[in-house]
Amino acid sequence: MTIELKDVVFSYPETPDKSVLNIQSWAVSSHQRVFVHGPSGGGKSTLLNVLSGIIRPVAGELTMLSQRLDQMTNRQLDRFRANHIGYIFQQFNLIPYLNAVDNIRLANQFSKTIPQAELHANIIDLLTTFGLDETDRDRPTEKLSIGQQQRIAIARALINKPEILIADEPTSSLDKTNRDVFMSELHAMVSETKTTLLFVSHDLSLSDSFDRVDSLADINTAERAY
Amino acid sequence: MFAKLALKSLLNRKGSVFLTVIAMSVSVFALLAVDHIRSQTKDSFHSTVSGIDLIVGARTGSLNLLLYSVFRIGNPTNNIDWSTYKSVAANPKVAWAIPMSLGDSHRGYRVVGTTQDYFEHFSFGKKQTLDFDTGRPFAEVFDVVLGSEVAKKLNYTLGTNIVLAHGLGKTSFSLHDDNPFTVVGILKPSGTPVDQSLQVSLHGMEAIHNPRQPATKLMEQPLSAGQSTQVLFEPEKITAFMLGLNSRLATFNVQREINTYSREPLSAILPGVALSELWQMMSVLENTLRLISGLILVAALLGLTAMMLASVRERQREIYLLRVIGAPPIFLFLLIELEAIWVSGISILIGAAGLSLSLMIAQDFLAANYGLHIDANIFSQGTLHYALLVMGATAFAAAIPALAVYRSAKIS
Ligand SMILES: Nc1ncnc2c1ncn2[C@@H]1O[C@H](COP(=O)(O)OP(=O)(O)O)[C@@H](O)[C@H]1O
Ligand SMILES: [Mg+2]
Repeated sequence: MTIELKDVVFSYPETPDKSVLNIQSWAVSSHQRVFVHGPSGGGKSTLLNVLSGIIRPVAGELTMLSQRLDQMTNRQLDRFRANHIGYIFQQFNLIPYLNAVDNIRLANQFSKTIPQAELHANIIDLLTTFGLDETDRDRPTEKLSIGQQQRIAIARALINKPEILIADEPTSSLDKTNRDVFMSELHAMVSETKTTLLFVSHDLSLSDSFDRVDSLADINTAERAY
Repeated sequence: MFAKLALKSLLNRKGSVFLTVIAMSVSVFALLAVDHIRSQTKDSFHSTVSGIDLIVGARTGSLNLLLYSVFRIGNPTNNIDWSTYKSVAANPKVAWAIPMSLGDSHRGYRVVGTTQDYFEHFSFGKKQTLDFDTGRPFAEVFDVVLGSEVAKKLNYTLGTNIVLAHGLGKTSFSLHDDNPFTVVGILKPSGTPVDQSLQVSLHGMEAIHNPRQPATKLMEQPLSAGQSTQVLFEPEKITAFMLGLNSRLATFNVQREINTYSREPLSAILPGVALSELWQMMSVLENTLRLISGLILVAALLGLTAMMLASVRERQREIYLLRVIGAPPIFLFLLIELEAIWVSGISILIGAAGLSLSLMIAQDFLAANYGLHIDANIFSQGTLHYALLVMGATAFAAAIPALAVYRSAKIS
């Protein structure tokens, strides 16, 4: 199992009485591509933040790649995230004033899984795969189109060769054409690198070509927050 | 990479960062200026009097005597008799004596009537004597030796004929047109008030002041530095004189003897002691200036802190992104600190460069008007200390926004 949750409870410190997540049991096996859907406000982003160790569950066992995240120190959580998890958001995936190469390089700084000598070549390879030509590589990413930015975000998320890729509604700000390009490139990349993919969205139409489609409502038994 | 990230982040917020840098630069400028000018003034003053054991003039306050005799600031109250000078100079404990007759000027530069001992015995800095750039000491009545600054500013060279005026003003109504002096020597820069002076012999000085002896007539006589001239122009009064003693141990002894001189009231002062008095008086001003520049720094740092705090609020998403790619909270803390250090580093460079430039521009003015020789090169240990102080203070001030980021980034 790549991801395993047991009796995981989460509530935000501001509202300790209202649990956002309450998951008895949920698991994702390795190399699986899982689509999780649910309405907005349902706790999708919260779940992903818990899985990546940005926030800690209030209770329960959280195992990722056979390691107990709930027992790690903060420092270990940061390291684990840097080394094993790639993350793509709906938007603002990149430091806007840095160019694509520097954005990706920055993501590598906290992991250092790739030898410095190979890093640049790897970055250029990735960016070429995602169709970013030379002139666009050196421009601040804020000057690029949203479609380009989101594809750089995939490259950024994959630079450290993570076992798990987490995508939080990454296509919401894209138009139809860009969305299709994004989805096909994402799937191609994930199958090539054999990465476990956890993709959340409220848009079920994106769930084609996933191995599994879960509804958050079935997983999460917490009282609806709305 | 991190330094680059910090710098790029700052460049991305040019407007507010620019204003902060300006404020910080001004404070650095003020801090360094106060310190540099203070230490340079002290060095310059101390260097000027370093070779003089005693200064003697008519009875007056020691500061007053020091300032008018050596630094040519202010005016003497009284003259002293030539015979007094002769008798003190004859004291066996006295190694050398340099008489000075002051009170005249040429186009704003002071004229000093003195003897050849001036070139032989006056020393400054680390026992350097006055060096000639070209020419030689004065020998004839109407010979004049120029300080380096005078020659440069007035464009005088050897052989130039000039007119020396009675009085100190730039426009003197009693121009002694009939007393043409000839430049026979130009001194090398010494960093002392000598650079701003014209040196003539005491006899030359008397010639300017003695209307009963028409100069033209004197010129017809065979003049040499020898006997005939001295007989003709034995000075009656001089303003002050400097003494070098055979042994420094005798200083207080000789000082007492002069102070109790019976034929006229005299003051003998130790220039180093008088300068200490001066610094004592100046220390209140000095500390006030330091306090003010310190306060400017505090204000600038508060501005920096406010700017950084505002940026932290604007950059929540960026901070979250960095967290997601694995940046630990301490990294974010250091990133904010690094940005602040960049700002203060750049400000220090701008402030220091600005000060250097200002000094280069003001140098001549300060030298010409106040006899102050301020080096435009401000890079000294003191500057380094201030730079480190500013950096340290910046790091301290930036800890406020940096801690805010750190706390918000911490996993709860
Ligand atoms: N930082 C936060 N502090 C407090 N409550 C939050 C925070 N983030 C999200 N929530 C609440 O948690 C619930 C789930 O939000 P979220 O995980 O963002 O849902 P989704 O991603 O499915 O739209 C919502 O009720 C939301 O208001
Ligand atoms: Mg969400």
